[in-house]
Amino acid sequence: MQELKELVFRLCKAGGTPGDESAAAAAAAQEFPGCAETHTDALGNLLAVMGDPKSKNHILLDAHLDQIGLVVTRIEKNGFLRADRCGGTDQRILPGTAVTVCGKEELHGIVCCMPPHLTGGDRDKVPAPDKMAVDIGLSREEAEKRVQPGDRILFRTEPKSLLGTRITAPGLDDRSSVAALIRCAQLLTEKPPRCRVTFLCSTREEVGGQGAVTGAYGADPSQAIAVDVGFAAQPGVEPEKCGKLGGGPMIGYAPVLNRGISEKLVLLAEKSKMPYKRDVMGEDTGTNSDDIAATRSGVPTGLVSIPLRYMHTPAEVVDLQDVENTARLLAAYIREAE
Amino acid sequence: MADWNLLEKLCTARGISGREDEIRALILKEIKSCADEIKITPLGNIVAFKAGKQHPNTKLMISAHMDEVGLIVTHVTDEGLLKFETVGGIDRRILPGKSVTVEDGISGVIGVKPIHLLEKDQISKSVPLKDLYIDIGASSREEAESCVKPGDMVTFDSYFDRQGGMVMSKALDDRAGCALLIGMMKAQLKYDTVFVFAVQEEIGLKGARTAAFSVAPQAAIVVESTTAADVPGVEEDRQVCRLGKGPVISFMDKGTIYDREYYQLAFQAAEKAGVPCQAKQAVAGGNDAAAIHVSRAGVRTAAVSLPCRYLHAPFGMIAQEDYCSAGQLLIQYAEMIEERNAT
Repeated sequence: MQELKELVFRLCKAGGTPGDESAAAAAAAQEFPGCAETHTDALGNLLAVMGDPKSKNHILLDAHLDQIGLVVTRIEKNGFLRADRCGGTDQRILPGTAVTVCGKEELHGIVCCMPPHLTGGDRDKVPAPDKMAVDIGLSREEAEKRVQPGDRILFRTEPKSLLGTRITAPGLDDRSSVAALIRCAQLLTEKPPRCRVTFLCSTREEVGGQGAVTGAYGADPSQAIAVDVGFAAQPGVEPEKCGKLGGGPMIGYAPVLNRGISEKLVLLAEKSKMPYKRDVMGEDTGTNSDDIAATRSGVPTGLVSIPLRYMHTPAEVVDLQDVENTARLLAAYIREAE
Repeated sequence: MADWNLLEKLCTARGISGREDEIRALILKEIKSCADEIKITPLGNIVAFKAGKQHPNTKLMISAHMDEVGLIVTHVTDEGLLKFETVGGIDRRILPGKSVTVEDGISGVIGVKPIHLLEKDQISKSVPLKDLYIDIGASSREEAESCVKPGDMVTFDSYFDRQGGMVMSKALDDRAGCALLIGMMKAQLKYDTVFVFAVQEEIGLKGARTAAFSVAPQAAIVVESTTAADVPGVEEDRQVCRLGKGPVISFMDKGTIYDREYYQLAFQAAEKAGVPCQAKQAVAGGNDAAAIHVSRAGVRTAAVSLPCRYLHAPFGMIAQEDYCSAGQLLIQYAEMIEERNAT
């Protein structure tokens, strides 16, 4: 688990908001085992390929590279930065949060919070992100030399170990799934699969999944499994509607998902005696699997989710056991399919 | 030149009200070679006497507080989550999603319900304190209780940065004040002076109250950090004070009407020291002066503060220039008070 934890932390430390994933892609590219050949495409997707390139049985495994953050919209006359969401950032976590502004150089900043003497009776409300400002302590002149509209802002929180095998870091959505893909590739390395496998680390999921759309088109797989994070039980989240930390991979069942793949995944989880949960959705899954399934003339697609708490905050939590089991489940699926 | 390493050590050390032990130990180490007498009071204040070249005409006590705002664990739930209360005045809106450390290094985060599952009207609503909790990764009450118990201290995880002439850190309120006092003690002083490093300011000034009783000074200067609201969206007349405009002198706040002569004297001292200073342009907040000026038969009291943005949040910001100016002002100001007659 120590090695897996270090892998996840390395991936999380390389930031990547939607449309600006190159650092995250470079970090992930270094981690795929030598037998996987990597390249990037026009939208910044990272693709790692292994197995038999001529095989008609071509499995695509997808996890997204990007994480939620903010984007600079303008610089105020006193040097404060105005920003808006980049992805579905939860505004309730913004006041007083430490951030890194990715300008010409990396700058430290704080999201302004109203001083207590001015908040009066409106403590119930949290201002919208575009009404807040980021303080980097620079004059407008100094700020403009280093920052421009369009630059991204990341949450600045160190990855940390919690009790047992649980960890916290910003960007575990979806770097923990990227880690599962890398770990799966490691498990397959000893005996390269007879089928063809493409690991797609896709961009822009948090703003609509454009990376998965083009990445899946380019890869042209015969079947696919998307890996993302899912809700883990926590106060306010009904246990019957979600997974559980340490409860194993959540195997998706949804109209868009191929039932055969879902059933196969369940069978394999049972065979390997790992915990798992059937994650049933009546509508869209809200993950890249929705788009991948509708690529070209259609791709039979499955979905595996890693349970995660506090999604879209800097305090995301996963259990490494679930990441490892997800990797094992994916590897078992590929072995079975080859 | 300011000792930024000292400020960093003080700010990154952890100690909420009532739990100032680590700060106290750090300060004692710093001042033991330059103080002539050190006393620890029953509540844990440090009272340090520093002899000057001569006796003062007015017995002056200069005070800063050691404690920082934070949280305290009140209950462990069946799921192994920690319920907490705030220690000191914390706006609950700065809590969700923050990284914290419980007691001796147990890592945790403050969790909230994912945005995807919120009703529309909840998205811009702050989360009530009763719905917040700390997740340390325990999967059961037993696992959590093996390392955490009610009453344990919780502090915010933070960084200490110097960037663009600023300092960003947690606990600048009031470790910056402590650092300024230590800086003074390391200098050669003209008059004998008593320095107090007080406990428990954030929860009702209990440290300063008892320290003032024990010192029985004729005059006092409280060295603090005060709210600077010079941020976007706040009208100029409500900004209270501004970073980079020098240390802040108070005429009145929610706890104290300051000695008028001393208030005016501060501006003269700044002029003499050749540093800027500004008036606190609001009757807001409060500090240890509230307890000190009513000690025994009364103490003539002044407050010199550093303008600090985002007070009582995991990251505050002060200007390095203001910090240096405050150090120079304090030396001059103290001398001017001490050379005058007390009444």
